[in-house]
Amino acid sequence: MSSPILQAVGVSKTFGALKAVNEVSFSVNRGEIFGIAGPNGSGKSTLFNLMTGIPFGPSSGQVHFEGTQIDHWPAHRIARSGLCRTFQKDAEFPELSALETVQISAAYNGRLSRKGAASEADKALDLVEMDAARRTMKSHGLSVYEKKQLMIASALVSKPSVLMLDEPASGLTKPEISNLDALLINVNKSGITVLLIEHVLSLLLSVSQRLMVLNQGAVLAEGAPAEVVKDASVIEAYLGGRG
Amino acid sequence: MTPTVKNVALPLICLALLLVVPAVVSDSYTRHLFIIAFIYAIIASNWNLSLGHCGVFNFGHLTFFGVGVYTAAIAAKTLGVSPWISILSGGVTAALAAFIIAAPVARLKGIYVVLVTFAFSQLAMQLVLSQSQITGGAEGMVRIPYLKLGDYSFIRDYKLGYYYAGLALLSVSTLFLIAVTRSPFGKSLTAVRDAEDYAASRGISVSRQRILVLILSAIFTGFAGGFYAIYLRVASPEVFGFGTLSLALSMVLIGGTGTTFGPIVAALALTFATESLAGIRGFEEARFIVIAVAMILVLRVAPGGVLGILDRLLPSARQ
Ligand SMILES: Nc1ncnc2c1ncn2[C@@H]1O[C@H](COP(=O)(O)OP(=O)(O)OP(=O)(O)O)[C@@H](O)[C@H]1O
Ligand SMILES: [Mg+2]
Repeated sequence: MSSPILQAVGVSKTFGALKAVNEVSFSVNRGEIFGIAGPNGSGKSTLFNLMTGIPFGPSSGQVHFEGTQIDHWPAHRIARSGLCRTFQKDAEFPELSALETVQISAAYNGRLSRKGAASEADKALDLVEMDAARRTMKSHGLSVYEKKQLMIASALVSKPSVLMLDEPASGLTKPEISNLDALLINVNKSGITVLLIEHVLSLLLSVSQRLMVLNQGAVLAEGAPAEVVKDASVIEAYLGGRG
Repeated sequence: MTPTVKNVALPLICLALLLVVPAVVSDSYTRHLFIIAFIYAIIASNWNLSLGHCGVFNFGHLTFFGVGVYTAAIAAKTLGVSPWISILSGGVTAALAAFIIAAPVARLKGIYVVLVTFAFSQLAMQLVLSQSQITGGAEGMVRIPYLKLGDYSFIRDYKLGYYYAGLALLSVSTLFLIAVTRSPFGKSLTAVRDAEDYAASRGISVSRQRILVLILSAIFTGFAGGFYAIYLRVASPEVFGFGTLSLALSMVLIGGTGTTFGPIVAALALTFATESLAGIRGFEEARFIVIAVAMILVLRVAPGGVLGILDRLLPSARQ
């Protein structure tokens, strides 16, 4: 068994009196799809933020990526080292086109020359199957689905070793979700480790090899998806959290 | 309008017109207004690089101009350096000043950037006032050496030489701004302005881009300051004052933040507008109120600036 590609050791994040993430530890193996579930406000996005340095690292605890401790690194350095993420809320550069967005990611995250960035940008947008006619208009005019495609393409263009996706399926239609499903499987097959936060449980269960459930900032359960969803405390948290 | 018409054809037509202006306009006062307008256009369009393109609320931009003014004045008059080199050295020291202010500003946000940069400009003014041995204090410096090219002195021919030198400086500055804003670096500035976290998560260092954009915005502003001192042959602490600042700011805002040509057009228009208002009896002092009202109107009607209005009047030829 090789060492984990990504590891959190007792990470916490406090906002005033609130412990949004409380002593969370987990590790992700190279090449797997690792799912993260949990009720609203359970700390999933905050966990992604502290691991990627947005806006800072954890209040306490450590993050190790490819064997290096990265929790004190600034966000751009973490991204450049190959730990790349998307955001739950629509993140976009409204004045830039899809092509420009992916190009600057290739230039900065991927350290590519102008020419290299241009050709890689096309490939990344092809990979997420973004409509070619929509790639040169300003991003603020794109649809929700196109914005999600763009966010993933701008992460993939720099060939990260880990891709972290925060609720990529939210706001999408059924057929769009099944496209996304196929894309994730493809991306993972190409050798990229995937962390996936998702409320759409069907997607999470169909693609994840392991699943972690958070509740009130702490790990509630972790293991094979089929086992985890049967866990009594998980059922309780979901019904309690939602009801 | 198609992008080619707007970004290439129109600017080239404007440049062609400006090139023939001296053939039509021979009085030195009107030419003087053009030269001052060129200088303001450089200040405003370079300010727009940091303020408009990158969203850095730098209210000390005129400091870079003032540093250019005093560098050129001291170099040419006190140190006896050639006026041409003195102008260029104004850009170097302005970039250095930008580097000094950029480090604290890069990590600050919103109103704090405004406060720190404005305080920096006041500090620069106090420095100039207090070091009167070198700067002439409140009196300023006069009789700064003028430009010469071989045996040709630029004060001859009703400012013809200064007109073309100013226009050349504005043209090079504009080419520089186009190159910067079109590059991946330029796009990254817009990314930092509109979505900081997203930009950082795509490998862009937000604070580094802020530092770089301040330095880049200072270079031609410093050259313009140097040219201003050599052209007018005086350096006075007024350049750090609120009047210059608010006039340049109104050019950026009326011209349209985030466009390269908007502030240039606004600088030319406002320079002539304020001058003609000054000529009307009763408007000598009121002209700044008129500019303020114009600024508020433009911001209400067309937050994108005058070029934004042009875009709407002449709809894009694209479908
Ligand atoms: N910047 C912040 N400042 C203060 N509180 C915050 C901040 N970010 C998150 N929180 C709080 O931390 C808790 C966890 O939020 P987080 O967004 O991580 O939850 P989540 O599991 O991603 O929820 P959702 O499923 O709704 O996306 C919430 O109570 C939230 O209000
Ligand atoms: Mg969330």
